[in-house]
Amino acid sequence: MPQSTKPTTVLSARGLAKTYGDLVALEPLDLSVPEGQRLVLVGHNGSGKTTLLRIAAGLLEPSSGEVSIVGAPAGSIEARSAVSYLPDNPVLYDDLSVLEHIEYVCRLHEADEWQSRAVGLLDALALTERADDLPSRFSRGLRQKTAILLGLIRPFSLLLIDEPFVGLDPPGRAALVELLDDANDSGATVIVATHQMDFVSRAERCVALRDGAVIFDGEPGGADFTTLAG
Amino acid sequence: MPLAGLASPAVDAAFSFEPKVILKDLRSARRRQRIADLDPFEALYRAYLTGITVTLAALFLSGATGDTKITGAQLATIRMHGAAWLGMAIALIFAVGLRSGGRGGPLVVEAADVRHVLLAPIDRSVALRGPAIRQLRFLLLAGASTGGIAGLLTRQRLPGPAIAWVATGAATGALAVAGGFGLALIVSGRRLGRWVGGGLAILVLAWSGVDLAEHTTTSPVTLLARFAMWPLAVHAVDVIGVVVPVALLVVGLVVVGGTMLEASERRAGLVGQIRFAATLQDLRTVIVLRRQLSQEQPRQRPWLRLRRAIPMSWLTSSSADGDGKKARLHVRHFPVWRRGWHGILRWPALRLLRVALLGAVAGLCLVATWNGTTPLVVVAGLALYLAALDVTEPLAQEVDHPDRALSFDLPSGELHLRQLAPSAVLMVFVGVVGILAAAAVTGGATTTWEIGAVVVVPAALCALGAGAMSVVKGPPPPLSAQAALIPEVAGARAVGRLLWPPIMSILGVVPVLVARNAVQHGHAALPAAVSIEQVAAILAVFGVAWVRYQEDLHKWWQDQIADAKMGTGRPTKPAL
Repeated sequence: MPQSTKPTTVLSARGLAKTYGDLVALEPLDLSVPEGQRLVLVGHNGSGKTTLLRIAAGLLEPSSGEVSIVGAPAGSIEARSAVSYLPDNPVLYDDLSVLEHIEYVCRLHEADEWQSRAVGLLDALALTERADDLPSRFSRGLRQKTAILLGLIRPFSLLLIDEPFVGLDPPGRAALVELLDDANDSGATVIVATHQMDFVSRAERCVALRDGAVIFDGEPGGADFTTLAG
Repeated sequence: MPLAGLASPAVDAAFSFEPKVILKDLRSARRRQRIADLDPFEALYRAYLTGITVTLAALFLSGATGDTKITGAQLATIRMHGAAWLGMAIALIFAVGLRSGGRGGPLVVEAADVRHVLLAPIDRSVALRGPAIRQLRFLLLAGASTGGIAGLLTRQRLPGPAIAWVATGAATGALAVAGGFGLALIVSGRRLGRWVGGGLAILVLAWSGVDLAEHTTTSPVTLLARFAMWPLAVHAVDVIGVVVPVALLVVGLVVVGGTMLEASERRAGLVGQIRFAATLQDLRTVIVLRRQLSQEQPRQRPWLRLRRAIPMSWLTSSSADGDGKKARLHVRHFPVWRRGWHGILRWPALRLLRVALLGAVAGLCLVATWNGTTPLVVVAGLALYLAALDVTEPLAQEVDHPDRALSFDLPSGELHLRQLAPSAVLMVFVGVVGILAAAAVTGGATTTWEIGAVVVVPAALCALGAGAMSVVKGPPPPLSAQAALIPEVAGARAVGRLLWPPIMSILGVVPVLVARNAVQHGHAALPAAVSIEQVAAILAVFGVAWVRYQEDLHKWWQDQIADAKMGTGRPTKPAL
């Protein structure tokens, strides 16, 4: 459930860099993402896409520079309230059903009237029949769908998604694209790291990374996507 | 579809947004699920096994420690130096806590909690305090149990009421882990980093070292150690040693919210894998993951570089012609020997220190065994076994990559045996460290050097063989259907597989015990040690031979089984 926010810049990175000893994961970069934008992050494996998303989500600390989300430092309570992060590997409790996951996440994020949205999302992702099942017994694709559901059911103004199409069947991919459209239409900013052409063609902006540095920032139409994505 | 149609007792429209209530509800829901999944027969069987183990351990300890009371002179020495030595051990626990804090902290938070709870807009102190307290509960229990048992053992040889020794021992054990845990939480919660954490750890150890060297009682850990010895003498000032760990723990729980998620997530993944590997009894995987957990990486630059097989100038110079290169090429022999040393010379300082420390612990425990505390012979053997698990790293690397070994024109047993050569040299050095530590506390007594010289090589090789067995064996294979049906058979097989290597390592140091008993009965120590040493030497040879021939033996055995099966498959009577 996207929530309306006042700042026009949802994500702002200044001199953001991340290193692990001698290894440079992200070169110092500046990035500004306005409200409501649909941005796609591309780059070959190890280019720094996931690192950038994880720093913005507050899971990683930058080595230098700063990131702010809706004007608050990444990782702060305000930023956590605004960011919904969907990692490439779904992480779920082994001993909670899908429905219990939904309830728990909604309560943690103080979501109002989540029950009706839960029904809609369960239906859209074809999980209604499995709502009382434990995700630990699910296939990779069903776990991915559960994680997507949990990422979308809570309030957010910035959605960060890392390789969301991996493991999904064609109907699942179509449903996800539609859900991302809905989120974006409701005013949320959506940043997706992907190799999937389906979403790249729908994005307003493409940022390409190579070895931790931005090598392209512009409209997707102006880029040779195959080369940029490696 | 209305939500009511999705039957779930957890869903209730009227709920609280209070983080504490939410987290409590989550725990309740998960507990319900776990209880629903619980197999009562399995739980009862576990309780039965635990009961047997605890009973056997209690019987062993109570029987093994019924040794002689110490003399008046020894008691005077303990009164003077005991607190400082014990303080050093507690300082080590505090140092481990500081180091753990510098590397992200001691908290093991579930990956799902990191993703869902810690990324939610709630106070992280509230979210992390619960897991911290649950972890603390277990640590306190472990610390108090260890301290209580140590108190019980102490009572066997020192004067004072048993209840007092057990009580102060248990309290000291609990306070020591509480202080270490608190320090770890403070360093991780305040994000002081590994250098500050490591520096503080050295300071804590150095302070206790000064107390030990100067016969003073200034460090809080020395005061805490002296509190443990209250059955001998009570000093009011020792209360400071009790208050400090409690204060550290309280401060740690207050600042726990500052723990970095990066570290929590990394630990969550690794600890989950370690637990899984432990349930499979996969010791090697546990060791590798534990090294990852403590960020123990091989050094980029070796401590000492062996002469290169390809001179560096060849790699940097593009103008040198190939023929000229060949003319200067030195042929290197013993590739497996060199490969072993290439790896060992890249060991991080921490691993070298750990192995040396384990050698020293073995030496000190054998001194204590010699002086009358018999059970410490077990600790000495286990210390050498743990050192051997590190020392057999070249072999373990080979076992971890079996496809590489298959490409060599060499039986894998032969290759594994050759891999043990550098490890054997290193293991003897570990034994020498033990002798030096023993000599340090015995004032360089002649007996120490004599017994040490006789014991060191067989004991080191026994431990090496034991470590190599654990590495080569790997996790146990699945049980046959018949064996799985009988829990005692399965349990005995698992215990035998797990316990034999450490037992073999302990047997390697038993000659010290035999020599002590000879002295107690008025015989010379050295001939007794030498006579029993033959058994240890045979064990060492057995371990090494097992590494060389175990694969051939398994293959032979399987062939025999297959032949037998084919034999029974034939009709027993000729067809008419």
